Amino acid sequence: MNNIYKPYLMEIKEIIDETSDTRTLRLQFRSEEDKKKFSFKAGQFAEYSVFGEGECTFCIASPPTRMDFIECSFKQVGKVTNALRRLNVGDTIGFRGPYGNWFPVEEMKGKNIVFIAGGIGLAPVRSVILNVLDRRTEFGDITIVYGARTVQDLVYKRELNKWQERKDVKTVVTVDPGGETSDWKGEIGFVPTIVEKTAPSSKNAVAIICGPPIMIKFTLPVMMKLGFEEKNIITTLENRMKCGLGKCGRCNIGNIYVCKDGPVFTYFQLKVLPQEY
Amino acid sequence: MEELMISSENLAKLVDSFLKEGMDVFVPDSNRFGKINSSDKLVLDPSMKPTDISAKGVVFPKVDPIFHYKKDKEKVEIFETEPGNKQIVFGLKPCDAASFKVIEKVFNWDYKDEFFNRRMQNTIIFGLACTYSDEYCFCTSCGLSPVSYEGSDLFLVRLSEKEYSVMVVTEKGKEVISKYKDLFSSANAQKKTEVINSIKAPEKKFDSKKVKDWLDKNFETDFFNPTGEICLGCGQCAFVCPTCHCFDIVDEDYEYGKGRRMKNWDACQFYHFTLHASGHNPRDNQAKRYRQRVSHKFKYYIDRFGAILCTGCGRCSRGCPVGIDIGGIVSQIENLK
Repeated sequence: MNNIYKPYLMEIKEIIDETSDTRTLRLQFRSEEDKKKFSFKAGQFAEYSVFGEGECTFCIASPPTRMDFIECSFKQVGKVTNALRRLNVGDTIGFRGPYGNWFPVEEMKGKNIVFIAGGIGLAPVRSVILNVLDRRTEFGDITIVYGARTVQDLVYKRELNKWQERKDVKTVVTVDPGGETSDWKGEIGFVPTIVEKTAPSSKNAVAIICGPPIMIKFTLPVMMKLGFEEKNIITTLENRMKCGLGKCGRCNIGNIYVCKDGPVFTYFQLKVLPQEY
Repeated sequence: MEELMISSENLAKLVDSFLKEGMDVFVPDSNRFGKINSSDKLVLDPSMKPTDISAKGVVFPKVDPIFHYKKDKEKVEIFETEPGNKQIVFGLKPCDAASFKVIEKVFNWDYKDEFFNRRMQNTIIFGLACTYSDEYCFCTSCGLSPVSYEGSDLFLVRLSEKEYSVMVVTEKGKEVISKYKDLFSSANAQKKTEVINSIKAPEKKFDSKKVKDWLDKNFETDFFNPTGEICLGCGQCAFVCPTCHCFDIVDEDYEYGKGRRMKNWDACQFYHFTLHASGHNPRDNQAKRYRQRVSHKFKYYIDRFGAILCTGCGRCSRGCPVGIDIGGIVSQIENLK
């Protein structure tokens, strides 16, 4: 029987603490055969599980150009994420996926790309950023605007530094007013304000935006002002999911299944959906 | 389709033969479809009120183990579950039999849920023409009738205390009775027609097309607010429903280091059903959740799978502790501008 709910077994190879409550796991397939047949695209998600505790939905935070490990980043919030945090290097977790659609990286070839992320919303964006940086020559100008509430809440700090050092990427990192430290050298201000200040050109450009709903809400008008077309603004929805397979009925928005028709949507597509996300 | 007859006495023999073959036989009592171990318990009364809880559990159980696991330090092993027994379900009313065909669509539209499919393959359905009707019934508003054989493998019409007509609907149905041909006799078409014509169908409550037309245009509405105010969010409507198919995936250790992962029935009427980890909830009040229930049944499922996600059995209304009547609510929608 083809059991669609049966996970791959993966080993935790490395644990990286991004912030006090956000952690990245580097995972490797326990079976060589599983590893060989597995492939995914940037933006797809998976169900990660701790046996005896349950499953949790996160995006795959690593890019398809780096297949030695699968990485996920998660914030400690509920039962399963707490259980995930109790695991150590060498422990086994369950992994089902990849599920859902993906960012249109192939269609973005030759275009300028603007990445905008807030908080842990950088995780799905990071998959695309690393994917694009690994294939740098195929794309035009790259701008990254990333913000978090405080300096302590910035994730993937080691990579932010690397991106800032690169000459072929414009990286702007910001923290909310009051979230700065005395030695903070980045921007201070909310993401929409900093996007406006950075003013990336909308010419031949695609924008990928992920973050808290409030950030997205206030960034969209800025993007319109900068001249971005609705179909060139792409985001992911984070509706609660269980199966990831278009069965369990949890992630529905009207007649769409976020797990099958999404999670990646353009702003143009989102506008016609019922306001239930 | 082949038409046959069977006497009550021979129907009992048929049940005993199935039991002897080792199959599970389910029949309805007032509460549910339960297993019987002898034909003495067989009661097929077409005037019986629908069971409190629908028959969907025979193909989509409320708790369905999807695998077992064993944890030993850092190692984990997964063990697949065994397929269930061959099962015969007697006495499904048309509203119950049809529901299997409706939920089959969502379990197979993309990825295939083999837990549902292998049970369906192992299940033979003896439908029964229904003579019951109360203020909550509305099968006729959902494209069905008390004599619809949709979803049945064999369809019975009780002609008298002593005999039933049998319509052989599917190949699967034909096969299961092939060994017992001598228990059946040739059909009495005239008597069957007389009985069918005498069955009073529930009055049509609404035109589902008009209901969908309104739902298509009116997502933003305060129509569901009064229902949202009285609904307790207990979820009984989803649990007793033959077509509600939403589920949760839950782990349970049953002894140290061993356990199972299960698909458990869930309900869109619960606050936590759509609650995000961040605390944000897209359906943050009961009116929105009731709108989801009605819209899923009378719009979204039709958009997606071409079928109404309701067979008009009326169970959700009969069982509602605060008297919410879906048939009544949907009838009102038909008349909204």
